[in-house]
Amino acid sequence: MRDALEGSQAIARAVGMCRPGVVAAYPITPQTHIVENISKLVADGALHCELVSVESEFSAASVVLGAAAAGSRAYTASSSQGILLMAEVVYDIAGMRLPVVMTCANRAVSAPINIWNDHQDSMAVRDSGWIQIHCTDNQQAVDTTIQAFRIAQDLDLPVMVCVDGFVLTHTLETLDMPDQETVDRYLPEPAFARRLDSANPLSMGTLVGPDYFTEIRHVQHRASCRALDVIAAADRDWQALTGRASGGLLTVDGDPDAKIGVLAMGSVVSTFREAMETLPGGKKAKLINLRTFRPFPAQALIDACAGLRHLVVVDRSLSPGLGGILATEVKAALADGPKMPKIHAVALGLGGRDVPMEAWTRLVALAKDAPEPFHILDLDPAKLDPADL
Amino acid sequence: MPVIMTEGAFARPGTSLDFKTGTWRSERPVHKHATAPCHKVCPAGEDQQAWLAKLQENHPAEAWARLVMMNPMPAVSGRVCPHPCESACNRGHYDEAIAIHGLERWLGDEAIRQNWAYPVEKGPMRPGHVAVVGAGPAGLSAAYHLRRRRYKVTLFDSQPEAGGLLRSAIPPTRLPRDVLDREIERILATGIDFRPRVALGRDVVLEELSRDFDAVFLGIGAGRSRHWDVDGAVPADLREGLGLLREWLAVGAVPTPNAVVIHGGGNTAVDLARVMKRAGVAEVHVITASGLPGPDTDPDDVLNVVPRELEQAMEEGVVFHPHRTIQRLIMRGSKVVGVEMVRLKKLPNAKGRKSRIAFEGTETVLHVDMVIPAIGEVVDPDGVEALLGTHDYFTADPWGRIADHERVFVGGDARDWTRDFPGGTVSAAIGDGRRAAEGIDAAFQRLTPRLESRPDIPFETLNLHYYESAPRLRLPVLPLDQRNDSAEIEGGPSAGDALAEAGRCLSCGNCLACDNCWTLCPDSAVIKTVETASDGSHYVFDYDYCKGCGLCAAECPCGFIGMIAEP
Repeated sequence: MRDALEGSQAIARAVGMCRPGVVAAYPITPQTHIVENISKLVADGALHCELVSVESEFSAASVVLGAAAAGSRAYTASSSQGILLMAEVVYDIAGMRLPVVMTCANRAVSAPINIWNDHQDSMAVRDSGWIQIHCTDNQQAVDTTIQAFRIAQDLDLPVMVCVDGFVLTHTLETLDMPDQETVDRYLPEPAFARRLDSANPLSMGTLVGPDYFTEIRHVQHRASCRALDVIAAADRDWQALTGRASGGLLTVDGDPDAKIGVLAMGSVVSTFREAMETLPGGKKAKLINLRTFRPFPAQALIDACAGLRHLVVVDRSLSPGLGGILATEVKAALADGPKMPKIHAVALGLGGRDVPMEAWTRLVALAKDAPEPFHILDLDPAKLDPADL
Repeated sequence: MPVIMTEGAFARPGTSLDFKTGTWRSERPVHKHATAPCHKVCPAGEDQQAWLAKLQENHPAEAWARLVMMNPMPAVSGRVCPHPCESACNRGHYDEAIAIHGLERWLGDEAIRQNWAYPVEKGPMRPGHVAVVGAGPAGLSAAYHLRRRRYKVTLFDSQPEAGGLLRSAIPPTRLPRDVLDREIERILATGIDFRPRVALGRDVVLEELSRDFDAVFLGIGAGRSRHWDVDGAVPADLREGLGLLREWLAVGAVPTPNAVVIHGGGNTAVDLARVMKRAGVAEVHVITASGLPGPDTDPDDVLNVVPRELEQAMEEGVVFHPHRTIQRLIMRGSKVVGVEMVRLKKLPNAKGRKSRIAFEGTETVLHVDMVIPAIGEVVDPDGVEALLGTHDYFTADPWGRIADHERVFVGGDARDWTRDFPGGTVSAAIGDGRRAAEGIDAAFQRLTPRLESRPDIPFETLNLHYYESAPRLRLPVLPLDQRNDSAEIEGGPSAGDALAEAGRCLSCGNCLACDNCWTLCPDSAVIKTVETASDGSHYVFDYDYCKGCGLCAAECPCGFIGMIAEP
């Protein structure tokens, strides 16, 4: 059914249709509307789940950890400082192989304090072992949220659905909400491989010494790599049911024979798609949307970049002293490919700075010359002390 | 064969037992049974904490059995002992000390009422026959402890009945005679051959006893009043305190002057003062060099009297003059008409020890027509002249052994005080009797007797988070207008109150069976073998898995768990 919904409201409804047993979250801008809407569903009697009020994100993460350990489908959502406060438990959830789903309403990380969108928060926990999938629009946010519960349960791994704060969470979009019956058909019963059960006891979160820690990490890495197939399959199956795909591991738009490519994640991809169609000369480059950031789809990326001479990588986060995080990983992955394109690494849209369609033209233009060192594309030098240029 | 690792490192039941985390330990917890302060100071050697623990478990008979391992006369001592255990009780620093005397008395009375059997070793008598002279608390205790160890005992006393000073000098208002009679009867009934009306020196001599018996214990007390005068002056009609008290107990009458001064600071002085007050003496003064209990008084300086007796005496109108002495007797002819008293100050003397010096200018006069000294007694040398020599008391080691007299032991008031073993109380006499029995037992077996030695447990080492404040047991006290010469003034507790009061014991230095170690051990390395015990024996450390974190030691309320370096 077509419906005009705010992103947060749509995500809340999608979560509700996945019939979670436990939801626990602590409000933080721009995630707040998601949990508010879930609360409303519960208060209206439309959703039957344990909604646990907690005093911090640390507790929110701890509650969903425990709930998933006890065999319950569990969901939480957060942003920015909230993700960082959760960080310890975020690692625990992944290490303990618990199928939790979380929405990260992506936001810049303090200081200076900033509530607007970039990807610094999910990047901060990229090595925690969670699957991270980015959404380009709210339809994808809805569909990916539903897929996330299945991926998590299939792999015993937690999934973080990354949705750009404000740009998606607070924006009204006309989208197709699946009906409950479709979701019920798509999702398995929440019967996890392991759950705490006094009749069949086991210990979770045990201490593991140097003699076994390595093996545990190996098994976790293997499971995460295996997720590439599971994510792709989950999207295919969803498409078979609803006619909509969300982008598997990655998608490529534009001329397959283009020599220039631009790679990005999240809502800017939607902006660039439109720019490509509407701006003069927009079709000179193809657009690679890296939907799945963890596990990193290296082979799919090598295949997508075949024939490219130049690849511009757009980072919406920054590793000070290194540059673009995404660009660094892309470069590393392509280094294993047969012929590596020249990589142009830039950041833009930090802390919510608007990314207009015209940015596409500038990005494509970067490929004209030999790559420059990493730089921030939308930096305004007029606002800087000359000494800081 | 390596363990196959699971996803997320979850563990199936029992599998973590493969990992012996005990190998990480650098320190290990151990149980350390310390000496609770009540036990440390008890002259009779009772382990109050141990028998209170039995009461906490609601096993009164076992509590009594534990108590009479040391002191066979709890019904008596529960009434007459000044109970230094209560002054030392760690709970006193927390809220109020345990009312140990009330519980001791209750156990003693229950034992009499239910006729609980004394824990006397079964089996044939062992070789060794001991003569015990004097059936006061020291002699009765020695006889009982020897009988417990299966030695044959013959107990002599010059009086027709056993009891010694308990019978001849303690008023029934403090110690009802039926309680005394029944407790003594039960002790004698353990198999002690009691020979009354046999006086040492008159009917039997020491040499004869030494010849006919394998060992002799002298519990002959101190029967002769100390010489007393003031600058050489002595009233012609002088009577000593203990003599008057004995006379009153025997015939029921005391002199009734208009006003009297009793000079002395012990139970005899206070008991006599109360008897005379009740007999109608208008003014009864007690002049003593000691102080009254109070926040500013050094505990060692306080009158050596049961505190509640002192309180009751004051209620009854006895006037105390602490830190004073009689400087001059005001005489008319050979009769006293008044005393001049003076305040005493404690000053260091030439030897560096403090001694009491009269404080000039503080003299005051009391108009009285009688002065009674109650300054203590010395050993009556009749029958023991050679052994005593020129001394007032016998000098003995902790087991009552008199130097150069291998098989002669002494205890009770006849023994001179030492730093570790002061005397002057019924409980001290009971303790002397027990240690002498241990000494005699050791001598018969040619062993060396040893004193118990365990570490102390100061208040600061307890973990008070686990205790709750609770008011001390209040015992019924006879109102002033109902007090007479015979009715017991302080009553005992009900069974329920006694058990509740025992529940207040902090179990210093011993196991409280609180399960803290068992529940808090993060490695489940404390194993509980049975539901409860009072000695901690039911908690076992599993050193295979104990990492030595010390949580159990930190959270043990009683200081019963300590950490030691890994051997």
